Amino acid sequence: MFIKDLSCISPQKTFEDDFFGTEPIIYTGSQLKAVEPSYADIPRSQLRRMGKSNRMATGAGMPLLQKHKTDGIIIGTTDGGMEDCHRFLNQIIQYEEGTLTPTNFVQGSPSSPAGGLALMSANSGYNNTHSNKGLSFENCLMDADLLFIEGRAKSLLVGCVEEISQAQYRIETLAGFIKKDEITSDKLIGCGTPGAINGEGATMFVLESENDNALAELVDADMISYPTADDLVAKAKLLLERNGLAVSDIDALMLGYSGDSNSDHWYDVFAEQLFPETGILSFKNLFGETPSASAFATWFAANLVNGKSVPSQAVHKPISGELKTILIYNHYQGNQHGFVVVRAV
Amino acid sequence: MEVAELKVKLKTQIIEYLNLLDFTPEDIDDEDQLFGPKFDLDSIDALELSVLLEREYGIKMTDPAEGRKVLVTVNTMVDYILANKAEA
Repeated sequence: MFIKDLSCISPQKTFEDDFFGTEPIIYTGSQLKAVEPSYADIPRSQLRRMGKSNRMATGAGMPLLQKHKTDGIIIGTTDGGMEDCHRFLNQIIQYEEGTLTPTNFVQGSPSSPAGGLALMSANSGYNNTHSNKGLSFENCLMDADLLFIEGRAKSLLVGCVEEISQAQYRIETLAGFIKKDEITSDKLIGCGTPGAINGEGATMFVLESENDNALAELVDADMISYPTADDLVAKAKLLLERNGLAVSDIDALMLGYSGDSNSDHWYDVFAEQLFPETGILSFKNLFGETPSASAFATWFAANLVNGKSVPSQAVHKPISGELKTILIYNHYQGNQHGFVVVRAV
Repeated sequence: MEVAELKVKLKTQIIEYLNLLDFTPEDIDDEDQLFGPKFDLDSIDALELSVLLEREYGIKMTDPAEGRKVLVTVNTMVDYILANKAEA
């Protein structure tokens, strides 16, 4: 698969501004809110009804759909519009299952971004939403790859969207997945305390089956759930082998270090066992943790292999030589582990 | 509650329920057509307005034809609220 075009709304200035030419935003605390654009292209009558996840997905996806003819839309989101979903559920209780309005219900559905994008772009092709928690993005890529292999599509809009919902944030904080201590994002990795910092945003790609002036190649993606360290390394070896790659072909690892002392050891073990000499990049100190954080990583990696300079804040272990092939390894809460290989074209 | 006070309250609630991003209560005239070009409302907004009447004023509209007469301007909505609250 090849990345023809891409777009990203994130806690960094990745949409309208030149993220790679400016200093990244450093956040304090455990919520990294998206830097949203003005959404000038979305009719105000539609924008006012959109929840945040729909707004971000539409804002990132519509410009790509207007520029490229696509055969379908595949979106990954773990929670969808959770803020609207909670509002709707609370209204059921507050108004004793009386008259309810459809807006919060529609906006709260995980499939709403993919459906909304299809309606707005009059795209009547394949439309699917993957809500597979920490592997939502990897499942989107597998779906796209299968469509390309079967010849059912040549070009697809594929992306992920996640929003910070305050109720979910409280639940995850109580569960120990979000940091309770105030920390600045530039000091996140290696801080030694439990929990990650929450991010949000939308990342969209136009993927094509053939290389037609592509920005980068998505060589392969794979995933594994509840592995042992040996399972994980074996899975990564298999991924490299089936793509004819040696360890030395990987110019950099992009690892999902989240600053969570309970689960960052996975990255240490992975790098030490399989890639002891390879440079390491991080991304969650810039974008925060989301269940589909690997979509941000893929956007980041595609830009880097396409010649953008590496922000110093992303260098975890120095890289030597050109960046042509990046292996992204990310896990969510230590349970679901995904790999994506991005290569220069 | 004075009628003028009720109108301002209703305008604020309309903005809140319909999330009219670009409007303040002062921007809404009492005789503005709610379903005219100024606000660009649709059938879901009509449903939101009828829910507003039920939740905020305890008035349930059961006849759809009634909605077409009531959800016209701020004035028609206020008249309807006053008439039905008085009955109650």
